[in-house]
Amino acid sequence: MKNLTVRQIGIIVVAVLLILIAPRFLKVVQIRILNEIAYFSLFAISFNLLFGYAGLLSFGHAAYFGLGAYTTALLLKHVTGIPLLLSILMGGIAGAFGGAVVGLFCVRRKASYFVLLTLAFNQLIWALAWKWRTLTGGSDGIGGFAPKTINFGIITFDMTKAETIYYLTVSIVIPLLLLVRYLMKTPFGNTTVAIKVNEERAAFLGYNVNLSKHLIFTCASFFAGIAGSLFALFQDFVATSAVDLLMSTEVIMMTFLGGTGSFFGPVLGAAIFVYFTDWISSLTDRWEFILGVLFIVLVLYFHQGAIGLIPKRLKSIFESQRRID
Amino acid sequence: MLLFFVASGFSLVFGMMGVLNITHSAFYMLGAYLGYTLFIKTGNFWLALIIAPIPVGLLGALVERFFLRKVHAYGHAYELLITLGIFFVIGEVVKWIWGNFILPAKFPSALSGSAHVMGLTYPVYRLFILSISFAVLIILLYIFLRTRVGIAIRAAVSDADMVNCLGINVSRLFLWVFSCGAALASLAGVVAGPLLSTYPGMGLDMLVDLFVVVVVGGLGSLGGTFLAALIIGELQSFGVLFIPQLALVFQFLLMAIVLIIRPAGLMGEKV
Repeated sequence: MKNLTVRQIGIIVVAVLLILIAPRFLKVVQIRILNEIAYFSLFAISFNLLFGYAGLLSFGHAAYFGLGAYTTALLLKHVTGIPLLLSILMGGIAGAFGGAVVGLFCVRRKASYFVLLTLAFNQLIWALAWKWRTLTGGSDGIGGFAPKTINFGIITFDMTKAETIYYLTVSIVIPLLLLVRYLMKTPFGNTTVAIKVNEERAAFLGYNVNLSKHLIFTCASFFAGIAGSLFALFQDFVATSAVDLLMSTEVIMMTFLGGTGSFFGPVLGAAIFVYFTDWISSLTDRWEFILGVLFIVLVLYFHQGAIGLIPKRLKSIFESQRRID
Repeated sequence: MLLFFVASGFSLVFGMMGVLNITHSAFYMLGAYLGYTLFIKTGNFWLALIIAPIPVGLLGALVERFFLRKVHAYGHAYELLITLGIFFVIGEVVKWIWGNFILPAKFPSALSGSAHVMGLTYPVYRLFILSISFAVLIILLYIFLRTRVGIAIRAAVSDADMVNCLGINVSRLFLWVFSCGAALASLAGVVAGPLLSTYPGMGLDMLVDLFVVVVVGGLGSLGGTFLAALIIGELQSFGVLFIPQLALVFQFLLMAIVLIIRPAGLMGEKV
């Protein structure tokens, strides 16, 4: 965080304050939408970690999201007295573990094979969740596991209120987003980008290409797992829809809507996606159609996504980092 | 066998153009719906079989010309994503036109009933699928291995620029390949309709099977696709028969194992 200008720090502070006081002025429905945006932001950022930074197009990112969601749900349901935060952390660890195992097989493969392998593992986990009914409840899912209250030693919050979950989600997501941003500025992050730009050259320079890819894959899976945990907590319900192919494609859409070339693009994309689906689906049943068309137009003409539409000057206030592609 | 039928076009497009064509299963679905409507309206299944692939083939050509070619320069990821977007749009349009419900399976009268083959009773329709799939396999193999067009296509795969220099219009060639792939998918859709019934989710269901078959068989290899479709088909039916809980899991496990041991697939060339 050293190379932030005073102006940027100011903007971050204002943004955080806005996010914190927002629930005071909003209806419950709107708070819930903000909440969704928050965990989907984390999910989309974790996807962009792979695609935008490492150049790995994963078609099975929902697998780790789902692993996190199921882990948290099952822990809260079956282990009495487990601290809430621990269950969320375990969700992330489950995602990371899944990512580490799958990454072992995937990261060596090139382009299309990587896509297909990640998809295969996604479907494998989906099929497990679908068929292992005694554990996961199949398509009926697991529900009613979220605790009613959360206790931080001195104070106890009412978890049934939308604000509480919102604050919990936001207070986990924002630090993690900053962590990801910081991670990408470390030598590790730079290596990842170098591999994307020119894998052969990076290998010749002595970087362990596969190890780096494996690491970033595991990291992305960890963040996806946390996002999944928060999703489970928010919905108080997990079913196979959390791990299916549609979820994997939705995160791709979010990321592309926002833009893959910049750090905060996916956040914007998640926000657009959630608002858009909510708004359009209230107007018409055809929201998938409109979303599909929008997606095609973006892929065809606006490679930088929606964030590319923001004028350069305005953007430079938010973005201190150099473009990554 | 039906799996092979659908997968052959997909494998074709991937092998030739290096594009993971997600739209393929949308073409398949479109074919099934068109076939259904034509069959109901005209009462003639054969007419549906011949006519349905034509508009879908044309649509395929449009998709290649106006969408795929534009993003070709940006690499595989964008090609894949554009086909994903088109897949969604076609899926929605289908729901728009035909409604969001299952259309009942309806067999053409000439092909219903069953036949006795080597002492076994077998539904005629399945035999029909079997024979038409074999015909497709043989025709495709003939085109690739024995005709000038096939040679040009195979050459264009290994070095598109060089083939271009030799005076063959590679982009037109790719247009044809993609269009034929779409028509094949549509044909498979028409044939599949009566067997599996026609429903809005059929594209997505087929997409997943498609990926498994093509990957296990080896991307772009027709023989491999054929072999893999057989294996997966057997695995599905026997799995459901003996261990229904794990039938789905097996399929993807097989795919993962094959990819780990032989990343190029059973009969694919070295990557």
